[in-house]
Amino acid sequence: MTPTISTTGLTRRYGDHLALGDVSVDIREGKITGLLGRNGAGKSTFLRIVTAQEFASTGSVRVFGENPVENERVLQRLVLVREDQQFPDFKVRHALSAASWFYPNWDAELADTLLRDFDLPTKRPIKKLSRGMRSALSITIGLAARAELTLLDEPYAGLDAVARQLFYDRLLDDYSAHPRTVLLSTHLIDEVADLLEHVVMIDKGRVVLDAPADELRGSAATVSGPATAVESFVAGRRVLHRRKIGSRASVTVADALDAAAKARAQALHLKLEPLSLQQLMVHTSNTGHPTAEEASA
Amino acid sequence: MNTLVKVARYHLVDRLQFLVLPVGVTLFAFLVNLTIFAVIPETPEENYSGGLFTLYVFMLVCGALSMTKSLPFGLALGVSRRSYYLGTILLVAGLAALYAVGIVVFQAIEEATGGWGVGLNYFRVPWLLNGPWYLTLLTSFVLLTLMFVYGMWYGLIYRRAAVVGVVLFAAAQVLVLVGGVLLLSWTDSWPKLGTFFSTLTVGGVTGVLALLVCVAGAGGFATMRRVTV
Amino acid sequence: MLDEGTPLFVQIAEQIADDIAEGNLAEGERVPSTNELAAFYRINPATAAKGINVLADEGLLEKRRGIGMFVAGGARQKLLADRRRRFAEQYLDPMLIEARRLGIDDETLISLIRGNGHRNGGPAA
Repeated sequence: MTPTISTTGLTRRYGDHLALGDVSVDIREGKITGLLGRNGAGKSTFLRIVTAQEFASTGSVRVFGENPVENERVLQRLVLVREDQQFPDFKVRHALSAASWFYPNWDAELADTLLRDFDLPTKRPIKKLSRGMRSALSITIGLAARAELTLLDEPYAGLDAVARQLFYDRLLDDYSAHPRTVLLSTHLIDEVADLLEHVVMIDKGRVVLDAPADELRGSAATVSGPATAVESFVAGRRVLHRRKIGSRASVTVADALDAAAKARAQALHLKLEPLSLQQLMVHTSNTGHPTAEEASA
Repeated sequence: MNTLVKVARYHLVDRLQFLVLPVGVTLFAFLVNLTIFAVIPETPEENYSGGLFTLYVFMLVCGALSMTKSLPFGLALGVSRRSYYLGTILLVAGLAALYAVGIVVFQAIEEATGGWGVGLNYFRVPWLLNGPWYLTLLTSFVLLTLMFVYGMWYGLIYRRAAVVGVVLFAAAQVLVLVGGVLLLSWTDSWPKLGTFFSTLTVGGVTGVLALLVCVAGAGGFATMRRVTV
Repeated sequence: MLDEGTPLFVQIAEQIADDIAEGNLAEGERVPSTNELAAFYRINPATAAKGINVLADEGLLEKRRGIGMFVAGGARQKLLADRRRRFAEQYLDPMLIEARRLGIDDETLISLIRGNGHRNGGPAA
């Protein structure tokens, strides 16, 4: 099946700053894929190029199998929710009206529900909205559009934890009821980790991880305990990080530890803590090269 | 609904910017002129006010706004740059036609009331908008369109190259004019120019303006192609 | 509710299996749908589906077309038998390792079990 998004050697330079370097990735249909990375990693640039709001320096992009640039056939099947979306001098209801004409799958009822959920005043000028409310507006438009390809670029700027959870719940709800391809970029990984089916991690403009979420969960762990025992346990394994205090050590290894390893750890009185997706990202960024990918290869 | 029409509609969602304000501003300038003229005791014959100028300048501003403030969300709605540009042109045509008709109508009233009872020539502009109604209609339409499209080009230049770009753009145009002047001097064509101007008709000017509309339109479109949001 | 160690879908499967083993989900009773599970645990529906499929593959759940997934006949027995089999591995071995470490011999261990039996709901069988 053709991937919904397919990039080959995608590169974007701004002067001598490399925003994206040789990004070749496939985003598969119907899944919620997380586009993870630090601030400034290149996630936004990637999303803007995919939606033809920005242009690539070199490389190719295919969305629904076609080049998205100036291609309305493709553009009208997708929606990009940006945290820095600039609006005209509209009121909230103006933006929603306009959106309803352009998105073929627009669901007015859902839009109303979301407006109420986020407490958005329809008659207020968008200029006068707080940052969180602007995000809520963009999210409302993005979800009510029910586009086949829904891209969300850190959509939660300014939203408090309660509103963020509301957003995740609504996203999951609507995705379950109307499956579509979702690409969600975020640096708040812990909050969305369980929602993701696939993970693409970008660091300094390059892809450092591209794997199913299940594969990554539990693909690395921190072993702690008496230093000598820890060292003997991690001998021969790929070490990501070492910490010592007194006679105790805490070593992070990129290894999916099986039952035998777990038993051995227990015998040695070592504590095993699997790495969360967020911790995995931190370690991947630090070491600057693929971890789980190599380990499982 | 065709995409271009949707874009035109999009610009008009907030009726204020392209409908209410231009009319309001023109009306305001008109009332100011009227008041002044009514107050001045001795009104010389054929008093022309340059007030209508306001509307044309406002069209320039609207053009710039349509390509700056309104562009990002427009493109975000899944519209190609081409459609956005052409849809906006469609809007311009509609607005220009509407306002041109308005000018003709108000001109007629102005004529009939002897300058609104105080000898004010607001809607009648010397030579350019003072002839038969169909010519006034055409010239107004073309001039309004030109101002808007020219404004659009400026807006796009601003988006792509910021204030520096706009300054350079204006400077480039000045250079072209200067170049033209120099060329005329070198080829000793001043007398020819003089003849040209003395035989110029309103229709001729309108034709030149229409040509400029095409130039600005094409230039703006070319600038549009690589604009990013 | 969900920890980091085991894959999510395994945890989902285990939670449903627990419910069946403890009798909270009776045979023939409908199991929550994929979407319901996803919404409840706030996870991706595909993950929930995977968990359900694990149990379906083990014959613990059966699909009734158009209606949903139901606890299969004999599921509880199957689970209990399986868990009894794994009891030694899961509970006995760690206990023995710890006992060795603390220097508790088998005799002491047995009397401890007998002695603590009444504290934990009845004498050990």
